[in-house]
Amino acid sequence: MTFNEQELVQGCKQRNRTAQRQLYDVFGGKLFAICLRYTKNRIDAEDVLQDAFIKIYENIDSFRNDSPLEYWLRSVVVNTALNHLRQQKHLKDLDDIDLHHNGIADKEVTLGDFQLRQLMEVIQELPIGCQTIFNLYAIEGYQHNEIAQKLGISEGTSKSQYARARGLLQQKLNKEKRFNDGSVRDKQF
Amino acid sequence: MMDPSEINNFEDQWRKALKEASEAPPQSVWEGIEARLDQQEDKGMILPLWWQSPKIWYAAASIAALLLVGGIWYSNSKNGIKPNVEIASTQTAKERATAESDSQTAVAVNSAAAASAQIASENNVAEYSAKSGKSANQSNREVLAAVKQSESNVSPTRQNGVEGNSAATIAAAKEADNQATIDKNSTLAKVDKSPSAPINKANSNAVIATEAPENTNSLVPATAIAESEMALAMLSALPYSDLDVHMQKRYIFFRPDLKVEEPVEPLKSRDYYAALSLMPASFNPNLKVKEAPLGFTNQNLSSKKSVSGTSESGVSYAVQTQGGVKLSKHWSLEMGVSYLKGNSSYEGGGYVLSAFNNRSANVLENALAGLAPTPNNAYQDKNGFFANNGALYIDVAKTVSNNYQYLQLPVQAGFTIYPEKKLSYSVLGGMMANFFLSNELESASGEIITTKASDEIYRHMNWAATTGLRFSYKLSSKWNANLTGSYQKSVTSGFRSNQSLDSRPQLYGVSWGMRYSF
Repeated sequence: MTFNEQELVQGCKQRNRTAQRQLYDVFGGKLFAICLRYTKNRIDAEDVLQDAFIKIYENIDSFRNDSPLEYWLRSVVVNTALNHLRQQKHLKDLDDIDLHHNGIADKEVTLGDFQLRQLMEVIQELPIGCQTIFNLYAIEGYQHNEIAQKLGISEGTSKSQYARARGLLQQKLNKEKRFNDGSVRDKQF
Repeated sequence: MMDPSEINNFEDQWRKALKEASEAPPQSVWEGIEARLDQQEDKGMILPLWWQSPKIWYAAASIAALLLVGGIWYSNSKNGIKPNVEIASTQTAKERATAESDSQTAVAVNSAAAASAQIASENNVAEYSAKSGKSANQSNREVLAAVKQSESNVSPTRQNGVEGNSAATIAAAKEADNQATIDKNSTLAKVDKSPSAPINKANSNAVIATEAPENTNSLVPATAIAESEMALAMLSALPYSDLDVHMQKRYIFFRPDLKVEEPVEPLKSRDYYAALSLMPASFNPNLKVKEAPLGFTNQNLSSKKSVSGTSESGVSYAVQTQGGVKLSKHWSLEMGVSYLKGNSSYEGGGYVLSAFNNRSANVLENALAGLAPTPNNAYQDKNGFFANNGALYIDVAKTVSNNYQYLQLPVQAGFTIYPEKKLSYSVLGGMMANFFLSNELESASGEIITTKASDEIYRHMNWAATTGLRFSYKLSSKWNANLTGSYQKSVTSGFRSNQSLDSRPQLYGVSWGMRYSF
């Protein structure tokens, strides 16, 4: 879709409903995907998306054109998602995880073998702490110290949670892969 | 240990797979967002734009339609009972129709009366609708047959109206009206009417048509019918979609979920109060004789060029009434009327002996007497009479009592601390107008010099500043006991400015009183 980002922002700043709708149409899909990554189910993701867009429209005045709009929108959504998790007290007691490594490294899997929905699902199946930190570190690209600050946890916790997330993802994907390779590949999600 | 490049590989893969991921959110999300945005906008305005809702307009149009139909039915039923009453014709319609037909009157009168009656019936015939016209025509014909005043006039009747014309507009109706008037002479009515005109019209016309022949006067039926046509034309209203919609902006305060809670009134501090109190006080007029009696100042014999003397406070009292109003929780304003009996004494200040009669007087008495306007005063020293007549000044302390009566009108502002507690404190401050009533100066010899306001020695009114501290104890919701410490100090002299005496009374007192709050 072609659109003029500046005009869109300007329209939203003027509380123009058409512009607001267009912004939603343009970015809603990507932002919803973020919401799905940070929540456990679609209903929660929808709630987060809704809250995020309200925040976006309310705070669009604070957006300056010095950074890409999408970057700003993503950060609003991520923060909204984190707030959502905080409100549900999911992020309250994230502890260091003692990783009992069994010495057998899970085989690296190639993500290209999976559908997006499968990837989303394996992320959603992670324990909430792991899920959040995985998202922040691996996808959003925050550093562990930033994550620690954001979530009010120690850097060590962030690291250990991430390591666990990574291990779990490998396990799950290997399982999925075996599943995919098997006869029930066409499982409907 | 994993190879860092592997780690990067892992994250890169995920990032690549998910960074651009997109999933269409369900429609309900936008609906929710929109609803919340609307809600926010409404909050800003508080005013829902109900007039923008088409439902409201449908409802309004339905009600209007019902009213219109009901109105037509009502007017028709009314006309059915009283055929002489014109069908829902307005006064203006009547007037216009009459005016238009006036010009034709002469002609109509000149021509046969029957001819005019015929015109009436023709008009009726003309305006019938295609469907209902038949029956109406029948009745009309019956009427015509019954009249039979001029057979020749019956034949030219055209029934254009029966064929019908689909264009029914107000303009057409007006035209029809005009035509009806003009065609009277030629006994030819050519009126186009819509076939879709309400059946009611035909019925009502029939009523009039039957009525018309009864009137032998040619003008009346013609007029009536012209009116009814006009009225009918007006009744066949435009469809609603063609009507102009005049919008009126209405701002209705509408918050359905809000329960309006009556604010719980705190124990209401009464707005008005009245108080009565008695104040024992110490009153000091601060009286000074500014200069010695004129005679002595010129007398070499006298060692006294000036006089000395002091006023001593005496036991005084004031009866006070007050009315006050609470301006706010803490602030109040009160006014009052008080009667002050200020007793004092004046001590010292020499002694004057008159050479003539050996009578003695204190310089104060002397001064006062000298001020008195009565010409035959025994103590006239102003004119130097004393001096020249060997009056003697003796420096001796002597006390005279000096008692005042004032009427006081204070205006004070008060600031109350702890107004809601049982015991409250108020700081008062304001001004007071002291109206001089009288002064009695009683000499040691028992002579009393009474000075009234009318003697014009004292000012009628002098200003005093007043301040005080009040303790108020709440006895009940309405009654308070007050204890007020007051200090009053005159800011202007009690005497007229040109006098040789000066007095700036001051007063300390503690008043005891009761206050009633309304």
